[in-house]
Amino acid sequence: MVTKTKAETKKGSQIKVITGNAAAAIAAKLACPDVVAAYPITPQTEIIEQISKFHANGEMDCELITVEGENSAMNAVMAASLAGGRVFTATSSWGLVFMYDAVLATSGARAPVVMVNVNRETPGIIAVSSGQQDMICTRDAGWIFLIAEDCQEVLDLVLQAYRLAEDYDIQVPVMVHYDGFYLSYLSEGVDVPFQEDVDKFLSVLEDQPKRTVLTPGNGMGCGSHGILGGYMELRHKHVTALERSKAKFDQIDKEYEDIFGRAYGGQLEEYRMDDADVVLVGSGSMCGTIKTVIDEKRQAGIKVGLLKMRMFRPFPGEAIVKALKGKKAIGVVDRSLNFGHKGGPFYTEIKAFETQLDGSPMISFIDGIANTDITTVNVAAMIDTICALAAGKEVREVTWVSYPEANEPEVNKSGGK
Amino acid sequence: MAAKKGKLTKVLDHLKHEDPFSKGVAFCPGCGLELLLRFIPQVMGNDIVITGTPSCSAPVLLGQNNQSWHKLSYFGTLMTGAAANATGLARYYRKAGIDNTVVCFNGDGTAADIGFGNLSGAAERNEPFIYICYDNEGYMNTGIQKSGTTPFGATTTTTPKGSVHKGKNLRRMNLALKMAMHKIPYAATATLSDLDDLAKKLLKAKEAKERGFAFLHVFAPCTTGWGYAPENTIEVCRRAVKTNYFPLWEAVDGKIRMTKTVKKPKPVKTYTELIKKFAHLTEEDHQILQDDIDYEFCILGGLSVLEGECQLPVSAQD
Amino acid sequence: MNEVRFHGRGGQGVVTTSKILANAFARTGQFGASFPMFGFERRGAPVTAFGRFSDKPVREKTQIYNPDILVVLDPSQKASKAVFLGLKPDSMLLLNDTDITTRITHENLKRFALINANKIALEEIGLAIPNTVIVGAFAKMSGLLDVEPCCGALEDYFSGSKLAANIVCTKRGFEEVELFDL
Repeated sequence: MVTKTKAETKKGSQIKVITGNAAAAIAAKLACPDVVAAYPITPQTEIIEQISKFHANGEMDCELITVEGENSAMNAVMAASLAGGRVFTATSSWGLVFMYDAVLATSGARAPVVMVNVNRETPGIIAVSSGQQDMICTRDAGWIFLIAEDCQEVLDLVLQAYRLAEDYDIQVPVMVHYDGFYLSYLSEGVDVPFQEDVDKFLSVLEDQPKRTVLTPGNGMGCGSHGILGGYMELRHKHVTALERSKAKFDQIDKEYEDIFGRAYGGQLEEYRMDDADVVLVGSGSMCGTIKTVIDEKRQAGIKVGLLKMRMFRPFPGEAIVKALKGKKAIGVVDRSLNFGHKGGPFYTEIKAFETQLDGSPMISFIDGIANTDITTVNVAAMIDTICALAAGKEVREVTWVSYPEANEPEVNKSGGK
Repeated sequence: MAAKKGKLTKVLDHLKHEDPFSKGVAFCPGCGLELLLRFIPQVMGNDIVITGTPSCSAPVLLGQNNQSWHKLSYFGTLMTGAAANATGLARYYRKAGIDNTVVCFNGDGTAADIGFGNLSGAAERNEPFIYICYDNEGYMNTGIQKSGTTPFGATTTTTPKGSVHKGKNLRRMNLALKMAMHKIPYAATATLSDLDDLAKKLLKAKEAKERGFAFLHVFAPCTTGWGYAPENTIEVCRRAVKTNYFPLWEAVDGKIRMTKTVKKPKPVKTYTELIKKFAHLTEEDHQILQDDIDYEFCILGGLSVLEGECQLPVSAQD
Repeated sequence: MNEVRFHGRGGQGVVTTSKILANAFARTGQFGASFPMFGFERRGAPVTAFGRFSDKPVREKTQIYNPDILVVLDPSQKASKAVFLGLKPDSMLLLNDTDITTRITHENLKRFALINANKIALEEIGLAIPNTVIVGAFAKMSGLLDVEPCCGALEDYFSGSKLAANIVCTKRGFEEVELFDL
């Protein structure tokens, strides 16, 4: 263990060189869940292996359920959560899809589950590779979605997720997403907080009113047949809780900083945005690379900034409008597809706020699918395209950065252009 | 008369707790499920946590919006993961030190078909709860479709009697035996014509769940789906037992024992003649069904004596 | 920042080599980040790992196309064009080879280092897993860090007699690597 100088680290923490998966497992351990469900899938497996090791060594006092499939993982933690427990599970890709019905049931029941999803492709072409398509497949599930950029943020977000999910005013499950391969297996220095500080951070929940839980003999039911008004009442409450979670997440981020010395900006992280003329909007591990390229472009006099989406559900529309208003051109990078639309999912959703952005032109970049690398060269090319757009030049609305074939002019069947 | 009265009292002795259900509930007249559902908490106590899935039991068990037909703690869940839900509940209660009896109550569609994977998984992990399958041999709530426990020959809306195919042309699976093969603390079959046997098995299951997984397979005929007179529900159960169509047995830690021995089993025809879904069966069809019943019973009989007679090879004992 | 690309095969400890080095750099107050790129293959498949070592925090999360340093754990890849792809001028190459007569030259290489790591590993831990020997050899060849933080980093991956044996491996790698300035 290497300890940073006191100026660099807050008291009671230590730098460990660990993977994103290990960061997630350690965060789960620090949150002291009552019940953990474990089922392996690449690239998530290391998380549940680590947790199993903690459990075997008595470092984690939880009920560890080694389920026979992801569907059972979600069902088990949902029920344990509704019974009053703090729970954790993790999945990826096909695993997330295999638990889809239970994912919906969990949010519908407002069970404050925290789950890590290590992003991986989910198409019919079996792709053991990075991409956020699994996240997009489940975006309408009614969960809160948070996305981490590096291993430190993985750890921090898992801890923040418990405060958000279990908050009395929220009670909505939270999924923490991070890129498979690029983050799951990335080893880097992570400031691992001490248990007492995590306990302090989470103790706020203990001071809140107790949520309703399912206890033997108390005559309480959950999962009744909702119909008409009764159903709409619960759905509307769910929707408004999601709306509340935006400001709550900003607040939790600030409280996290007070204890651990790290803040990210809540729903969005803005990097060199103040005086930026043009902006790249991104999420996840690509943002580290984008920041590096932005610094280079800035040295060349190009005023470019990054808007990093840390929260994807609920969609932080208001904060996005505030951050992007008045910018000369905006490019949105998507690591997934929005089937039925040409542009990527993030792009399409931000585009919905176009009228509030005073007509800032906007374009979509698709990159990083199926492990294609979002390189510094790719990011620089994206920035050049956005600058061209800002200068009034005609550019493609949607560019597949690593697949030039997609960017050729469309040819109709008769052979003419 | 006195003997009959004595018999009745024996059953009633097991009903030590209040019936938590409303007097009138939304089940079909003559529904076997209703009798079972009311019986369970009266025997096991009103402090059970019962889970249920979309099924015939759902309208009553799960309630509607914020209204309910009963006073039990319940968890309405999905057919795909019912046993996993019960696992989550039981494990959390164990962790929190809360005394509990979680009863995972499902039809055969959940238990034998779509939710079998997690049922088997929960048994393999020896999860501390009770799983009760009420078997009405099909998807009755959706309108009588074939399931894995639908027997040979039976007509359902997905195995109709047509000019080419007549009823289910496949055998039923033996769910209870499959579960016993997990060597769980307790597995048993039961039915509504033998309530004393059912009550004892419920209590044994409750006791066994302290050591892990308990499974009860309850034969619960469906007047609407099978086509028999509502007043014949118990008679259908009785004949199912007497023909060995549904033998009553239990397995404690995998050790199988018959709880009711039928000395002279009647031919299966005495059972099928009550039920319309078998009305089209020919003599030949009946023979196939009879052979299948005999086959299952032979296996069961073989397994029940296996423990005493089976000798391990010498090398394996070393 | 130094960008290092590791080439090997599953089972050789390619990923662990890059992890231990990232760990060792962190112990010197510097920053290290490493990650592998592989699919769902297990032992025997070619594995590439990427390491970035710097005095400033490492933010890039991309693969490495223009390495400053190459580390080749699998000698069967020593002539592979893919290994040398994008090599920067004035770069270094560390090769694990049982053939101690091997010499590699390349227009962009300023230093070549050779170690029979499998032999040392066999002698010290009884297994031909070269990774911890490579860690020590890397430290010596690159001059970017001393052997002590490398040995210290091993504590996060091994314990007991295995730790002691692997520390010897790393030390021997540091001492026994042959350097050739080109």
